Amino acid sequence: MKDSTKVIGYASPWSVAPGEDVQFHLSSEVLKSASARIVRIRCADADPRGPGIKVYHQPSPLDGEIPLASYPIHTGSFGEIPDAKLLTGLQDFSIGAWIWPTILTGGDQVVFARKDAATGKGWRLFINSDGCLSFAVSDEAGSSTITASQPVLIREWLFVHASFSATEGTITLSAESLERDGGRAQHVSLSARSTVSPVLNTATPLTFAAELTGKSAPYSRTGHHFNGKIDRPRLYGQALNGAEMRSIVDAVAPDLSDPSLIGAWDFSRDISSDLISDRSKNGLHGSVRRTPMRAATGANWTGTRTNWTAAPEEYGAIHFHDDDIDDAAWPEAQSWKVPDGIRSGFYTLELTADHDGVKTESHIPFFVRPPRGEKTADILVIAPTATYISYANNHSRIDQIHFEVMADGLIVLSQDDVYAHKHRELGASFYDTHKDYSGVCYSSARRPILNQRPGGYTFNYVNDTHLLDWLEEEGFAYDVITDEDLDRGGADLLKPYRVVLTMTHPEYTSKNMLDGLQTYQASGGRHMYLGGNGFYWRIAFHPTISGLIEMRRGITGLRSWEAEAGEECLSFTGEPSGLWRSSGRAPQRLTGVGFSAQVFDRGASYRRLPDSYLPRAAFVMNGLAEDEVIGNFGLRAGGAAALEIDRADRDLGTAPQAMILATADNTGAGGIPAPEELPVLYRGFSGEESNISRADIVLTPTADGGAVFSVGSIAWCCALSHKGYDNNVARITKNVLSRFLDPAPI
Amino acid sequence: MLRTSQDTAHFEIDPTRLDLAREFRHAPKGPHSPELRRVIHRMRWSGAGGRWCVVTVEPGVRWMLARLPDERFGEIRTYPETTFTSLNDAEWHVFRIRWEALTGNALPVEMD
Ligand SMILES: [Fe+2]
Repeated sequence: MKDSTKVIGYASPWSVAPGEDVQFHLSSEVLKSASARIVRIRCADADPRGPGIKVYHQPSPLDGEIPLASYPIHTGSFGEIPDAKLLTGLQDFSIGAWIWPTILTGGDQVVFARKDAATGKGWRLFINSDGCLSFAVSDEAGSSTITASQPVLIREWLFVHASFSATEGTITLSAESLERDGGRAQHVSLSARSTVSPVLNTATPLTFAAELTGKSAPYSRTGHHFNGKIDRPRLYGQALNGAEMRSIVDAVAPDLSDPSLIGAWDFSRDISSDLISDRSKNGLHGSVRRTPMRAATGANWTGTRTNWTAAPEEYGAIHFHDDDIDDAAWPEAQSWKVPDGIRSGFYTLELTADHDGVKTESHIPFFVRPPRGEKTADILVIAPTATYISYANNHSRIDQIHFEVMADGLIVLSQDDVYAHKHRELGASFYDTHKDYSGVCYSSARRPILNQRPGGYTFNYVNDTHLLDWLEEEGFAYDVITDEDLDRGGADLLKPYRVVLTMTHPEYTSKNMLDGLQTYQASGGRHMYLGGNGFYWRIAFHPTISGLIEMRRGITGLRSWEAEAGEECLSFTGEPSGLWRSSGRAPQRLTGVGFSAQVFDRGASYRRLPDSYLPRAAFVMNGLAEDEVIGNFGLRAGGAAALEIDRADRDLGTAPQAMILATADNTGAGGIPAPEELPVLYRGFSGEESNISRADIVLTPTADGGAVFSVGSIAWCCALSHKGYDNNVARITKNVLSRFLDPAPI
Repeated sequence: MLRTSQDTAHFEIDPTRLDLAREFRHAPKGPHSPELRRVIHRMRWSGAGGRWCVVTVEPGVRWMLARLPDERFGEIRTYPETTFTSLNDAEWHVFRIRWEALTGNALPVEMD
């Protein structure tokens, strides 16, 4: 068994042009060095029934043995307010906020703290290892703590308050639940004498959702992270009682004339950034780290408006997780200046080594685009990197009970999957939930992603390379750009190309990407969509940080979690997320087809429909018999229409001139429609009795002589190599690509 | 949020219906009769007898038996001694374990 995880890492940025540098961030727990080389990927599928692994060595200065070291990854988001003069020497004070805890972890979870880790002096408001709200003040000599007798309720809003009076030598703790019915009422009111003084004269930041450890790299700066939402935290320069503090917390707009108001943090400001701002006149602004979820509903959310941009005052909460990660922050181990004249394509840094008699081969993927402002081919392939990032280290087969039923068969894991499960600090995918079961809505490429590279996990990356393999087999030259390039560069990047190819499963799409493709199509461009379940979820790239994307799953679609009500809009942009269909742009509008069903047991084949005999469409089926069955073969479930498939639907936007050339509607009992395909519940919705679970091949002429050709199936490209590439899936693909390359209007 | 739970599937398997086990043995990937589909649904959803899976040893050639954790974030156990050269054999191996867990009866050896 070949190993693939003894050395792991990530490239940054993912997309580079000749003349630019790509950095490699590497770590190995066991290896001191590995043999390195750059390779260009043609086929990354090791399956012996297919074309097999095909990579080409790209000579570079990295060739040879490179040193390795081990680096940790620290997780957990938090907020930090740098030390300010006002905080130093603070005598009497009160703190308060609304909190919505989401999980009791068996460990301490700090909501709000100011503590000098070196001396232990300071204070913290936290949920203790028994789940009970607690307030502790401490100095060098010891600490005084008061603790509620009952654990907090998870997923319920709780007003929390604590105070310290140096003058009276007392501490207080109080709490009051927002809802009072059905066992939800919680009431805490405690006070005690304090034998210690937490008055801090040293420079010490305030922290939300964690406390400082006093350590530095390679150790974590923070610990005891909180899971849940914090809304409207306040710091006040007097020891107030709970009721007094509550009125200060509840006021969205604080009373700025009150000289004792030290800090009133408004998380509804700067939602699209990592800044947190203080509305008090003291300006104690700070920042959040490791992407906690912003645009979260507060305790005062009314449900009247569901977008934070429409009612920011009701979105004053941030949802923190102890397993949030945005950037592994490993140092650069190697870098490579991409030479001029190099071919555009899928590349990796390949690392090999022998360890304890086991051979390791690990790939760090990146993409070389053509020189900026130039093209080197007439065909452009868009690498669906937004989808790769969305799927990063997907744990759903392990974490989600229903998966074996959904997949219609025994779960087959790769060694990478097992490693990623053991190392949850590598972070999760959009399919996963955090430890507290809330959905993962940010995903970053700046961390090792083990399942979207050459290896045993075939969805997306490995499947996509079947298209590259076929293009090279047929001698079609192509350029590659990534989703992020398209997002940042728009239709201008596509315009020079005769044909744009989208790959097997371009599921996650930003508005800029969709606009770019649509503009290209509408100005004479030719788009071949050779996949399934594409252009489905609405995402956004971070406005400035490369490789960071956001998505919220709504309450429809094939979803592995749901966003909380009111939290379906993107914090990066304020756009609605969820399905593109919910934003009035169902995939059928772009490509003629849209997600209809999953078919994991037995792939289906297509049969020709009357439109395929129309003179305008005749080129597509050129060389096929009149009643020839299409794609009754393939590497995925034995058919070209399999895994996830798409169908045409005029109601959802398939164009009036679209020609439906073929259909695979014989999907059988394993053809199960997507939830949004069922208006009501009825028996007989599977592919056995209903043709709603089907894949359609659609050709749509577009403006100015352009066209779109869609096959509506992830498995299509995995059938291209069947019988030595001599088969009707390959033939149709070649017919269309050749015609699309011909500038004569379609 | 939006969770699924292991005890949702509740179809009662008739231990005398060895014909269904035979049908599965013959064609693990189907197509299956409606009766067998119910049996498989119960087995796969509930993970009764263990959340078994396989880990690829050599792509397309060999797989080893493995078991997913019952508790979230628990360990994935692998069984390098138990390998399969076809996924159909792996399906049958797991079917056998689950049949016994759900019916209390081991399937006859000669069904292999
Ligand atoms: Fe998907």
